[in-house]
Amino acid sequence: MSKIRRGFWMVMVSVLLFSASTSAHHGNSAYDETVRVTIKGVVTEFIWTNPHCQVYLDVTDKSGKVVRWAVETNSPAILTRAGWTRRSIKYGDQLTIILCPAKNGAPVAYMGSGDPGTKVIFADGKELDFTDKTLR
Amino acid sequence: MVGSTGMRRFLGRMPFLLAALAFPALAFAQGNTPAGPFDPHDLSGVWQFAPGGGGQGPGDNFPPLTPWGKAKYDANKPGYGPRAAPGGNDPILKCDPTGFPRILFQIWPFEIIQIPGRILMFFEGQHTIRPIWMDGRKLPNDPDPTWYGYSVGHWEGDTLVVETVGFNEKTWLGAQGQPHSDEMKTIERYRRIDRNTIQFNLTIDDPKTYSKTWEAEPRQIKARPGVEIPESFCVASEEEEFNRRIREPAARQPGKE
Repeated sequence: MSKIRRGFWMVMVSVLLFSASTSAHHGNSAYDETVRVTIKGVVTEFIWTNPHCQVYLDVTDKSGKVVRWAVETNSPAILTRAGWTRRSIKYGDQLTIILCPAKNGAPVAYMGSGDPGTKVIFADGKELDFTDKTLR
Repeated sequence: MVGSTGMRRFLGRMPFLLAALAFPALAFAQGNTPAGPFDPHDLSGVWQFAPGGGGQGPGDNFPPLTPWGKAKYDANKPGYGPRAAPGGNDPILKCDPTGFPRILFQIWPFEIIQIPGRILMFFEGQHTIRPIWMDGRKLPNDPDPTWYGYSVGHWEGDTLVVETVGFNEKTWLGAQGQPHSDEMKTIERYRRIDRNTIQFNLTIDDPKTYSKTWEAEPRQIKARPGVEIPESFCVASEEEEFNRRIREPAARQPGKE
């Protein structure tokens, strides 16, 4: 974790432990689902495709170095049921994202319905999470 | 007022016209939103394994593997379960068809559509339809091996019993890499126990892979009223790009580019 924390502006590591999820899509063992990391950056791309939507954002560290983060998330269908649309995130948006980082320290991460606590927070405080709003 | 009689006649028929127009919509809405007393022989509607998905497969508690099954199991490198590792060779990472029964256990819902002679399962994951023949036909003797097999069903009391044969050997039974052969036969049992719940049992019989019949852990399937199944293909070209930009960097060993 220190590798990820070191050097990034506004990157915090949550020490909360989460039980590893088995309800994420597949191949998630590349991510550490027992921790949550917070990053803050500016959106460069939001990709709305099956079966994984993706958010790319530039995160600037204290020295001014920019690192491009890639964040995997759920399918458009699951995001739609959680209240997202393909226009929810736009180029240039300033976002704070709580996510599960890659175990190997690369700036790649996962957020989604399988990992409670992961979410997107906009500059105005508005949030998007992965709770299914159609469940009654 | 020319034509007023005709107009009155037309207006008089309006309720019937409206009813005729509305009926398909009503039927569809009821399919998605089961309400009132339920018919145990009517499973139509959108459903999902509880809770929020099916645990990625029929379970880890499978019977002892045959030598053939063990070799296949060892060759499968899953992303889930006790043998999970980054990367791996799960066939669905390339958008191969998920296959049966694995598709049941994924995190996406499915719709059951009942039409004369058939029950259709329409899966959100991969936007796939699986037909179950309900017209009394027998299982084929020498079916072509396919991803979802060939399924026939019948009612035993209030339980829908579905038998399936004719699988290819390209799919896993679950994300933990449980293998199967083309000799596999599955039997599913669906019993609607209340308006919102189906009790589900699955038997996997594959003597080439497992030393005895595998009775999967019983599961419940829950109604998802209000949910519609949107288009959700797994598109190989898009998945390749996703693999290049996210999956491979996330799975790479530290220090290697």
